Amino acid sequence: MPQVIIDGQTYEFEGKHKLLQFIQDLGKEVPFFCYHPSMTAPANCRQCMVKVGQFVKDRETGEYELDDDGEKTIRWFPKLQTSCNIDVADDMIVHTQETDALVRRAQKDNLELILINHPLDCPICDQAGECPLQIQTYKYGPEGSRFEVKKVHKPKRVTLGPRVVLDAERCINCTRCTRFTEQISKTHQLTITSRGDKNYPTTAPGREFDDPYSLNTVDICPVGALTSADFRFRARVWEMNQTPSIDITNGKGCNIDLWTRDNIILRITPRYNGEVNDHWMPDDGREAYKIFNENRISRPLQKLDGEQILSSWNNSIATFIEQIEVRDKKEILFIGSPHASVEENYSLQQFANLIGINEVVFTNHIESGKGDGFLLTDDLAPNATGCRLLGLKEQDQTELKNRVKAATMIVLVSDHFVDRGVLSTTDLDGKYLISFATNHSETTKIADLVIPITTAAEHAASYVNVDGRIQRTIPAKETKYSNRSLNLEMSVSRLDRYGTNFDNWVTEDNKVDCIPLWNFISEVANASGLELSFDDGRSIMNKISDKLKTFENVSHEAMDDQLGIQLSLNPKTETPKVK
Amino acid sequence: MTYEFTTEDLKEIEKIKSRYPEVKPATLPVLWIAQNRFGHVDPDVQKLVAATLDLPEAHVHGVATFYTQYYKEKKGKYVLDVCTCLSCQLCGGYDMLHYLEEKLGIKTGETSNDGMFTLNQVECLGACGYAPMLQITNDKYVNNLTPEKIDKLVDSLKKGEEPSYEKMEMPLRKNN
Repeated sequence: MPQVIIDGQTYEFEGKHKLLQFIQDLGKEVPFFCYHPSMTAPANCRQCMVKVGQFVKDRETGEYELDDDGEKTIRWFPKLQTSCNIDVADDMIVHTQETDALVRRAQKDNLELILINHPLDCPICDQAGECPLQIQTYKYGPEGSRFEVKKVHKPKRVTLGPRVVLDAERCINCTRCTRFTEQISKTHQLTITSRGDKNYPTTAPGREFDDPYSLNTVDICPVGALTSADFRFRARVWEMNQTPSIDITNGKGCNIDLWTRDNIILRITPRYNGEVNDHWMPDDGREAYKIFNENRISRPLQKLDGEQILSSWNNSIATFIEQIEVRDKKEILFIGSPHASVEENYSLQQFANLIGINEVVFTNHIESGKGDGFLLTDDLAPNATGCRLLGLKEQDQTELKNRVKAATMIVLVSDHFVDRGVLSTTDLDGKYLISFATNHSETTKIADLVIPITTAAEHAASYVNVDGRIQRTIPAKETKYSNRSLNLEMSVSRLDRYGTNFDNWVTEDNKVDCIPLWNFISEVANASGLELSFDDGRSIMNKISDKLKTFENVSHEAMDDQLGIQLSLNPKTETPKVK
Repeated sequence: MTYEFTTEDLKEIEKIKSRYPEVKPATLPVLWIAQNRFGHVDPDVQKLVAATLDLPEAHVHGVATFYTQYYKEKKGKYVLDVCTCLSCQLCGGYDMLHYLEEKLGIKTGETSNDGMFTLNQVECLGACGYAPMLQITNDKYVNNLTPEKIDKLVDSLKKGEEPSYEKMEMPLRKNN
């Protein structure tokens, strides 16, 4: 097997590798700025230079040439090589900055060059704390600069597009952003203008950078040149905590990170998953932080004399039971939701089955023309496939209207039918509407009982994407009833760990008074003497995987280990057994 | 302002395109055709080039701004690039530049009111042997400048007569 010697260690390899990626895969480090594993390597930042050589072989005999000491002779490349675009070859000898003073010197000098015109405004820069330039300057950079002349000034605060702001002075011209628009989003909207020390990325004159994936350029920018118009100056990176989650704004289920501070989601960034979204996510998905923060329903609401008033949990549980008891079961319609998780739909379905209603329905949320074949889908709900796999009955608009007409009581989960035009207010006139919802909407406004439930940012639950991949969320935001320090799944930032309740950054109002749907159902079952109880998303998923063959071997742990699990999408999905 | 290529230009562009396996390399020569036709490649012309070649506007903009020889704004009929790099500087390049400034009544980088001349100060144009020198609109060199030579040049340019190419000779090294 071909061998390569890196810093004195011999490694075997197979196939074609670029040296920088190979070194990274070994868990070692070489600094770089312009290289990105999903894009071409133009080698223009010159930071990843290493010393590379090859053992000299006799061409005819194939034997190694030996020097006077009997060691194999090495023929070094005449100059240092950029490791990002050089292929790993058999008998290659590589010296990185760890073993070679020349490489260290070259990397240090290169950083000095890059920093000549860099403004060094880290204290006011959004990128500080997660900035490759900052980190690598600390690790490999010079201690000072020999360039004491005035820096070149370039445009600042340029609004490139509706979502991206450019600070050209910070730019090091790695061309990651222009390559992104060329190779990944293929809108070709960005280019580097001018040359020498005056160059910076920009759009064509008079054009906007309105790429539906534009914010990915902010993520891959190795400095603070491109910043998000929305997130700019909102928080320092080290004050936030980062929680892995799933994008719930469309059917693709992009893997994301939720960044929270003081229980407010401040930004959403993509998380790598080669099977789903690679390193990217659409801009629409990043807007979802508003769903988690704004316009939330806190405490149950109950209609009294035609007006919604704040109620208590006990009251709402009692009302829920009462309304079910006074009716013929045939008049009650349970509507699940592609916007709710597998666990939520399952617990609703189990409850319905237990009180004698065998069919739980749902309507998909498709807007044709929204999809683009990449990361946007026509399906605007994260879990339509999950509903189908659980055996919920899919209904189109007319079917649903007829079902609603026949019912006198409707239990609706996480779906805003009036807002998205599936049902009109007249369709729901005279029906007793119970709405489990996360946010206020036109639909919750007309409900007789509104139960606030947790969003994807507050519970651990799974969603099955359009391709049948089941992935799960991890709670990022505390509710009134959950606690970061007690729930070991939740991440804890420096502020969370060391701040007390009396410190001024803890705002109690940011916690929403809501509970997961399954907990509410457990309470209801408990109060009405039914044998049904749910603990948390994790145990519900275990129950589902015991019961349904499609979900065999699926558990929260397995999903974490494998970055989600691909389910086999059989055309005939089994109906769940009634307990 | 809207610009349009003439039929001959379009024919020429087709010919250029057929020279390359892809369209992208045609950007440079087509920008030249545009500049020769319109005198500059301002953003509107860049858009025309992008539309003609079916290339992204951003790409054409990037190429046009990379090269100083493409004029990104309207210039005078004649662009006088006076070299002030080392050899020319030593032989009086700045004197020539200042003489031209005075003569044309404009400062370096400006265009005269009649739209005839734009005066630029440039770095080495590779004619150190005949310093000081200037270049007319990316084309002909005028070498061994003197105030008299400049007077004559400006007069003839005003009449629309461009000087012809000047054959310059360097003393050959004797090998024996």
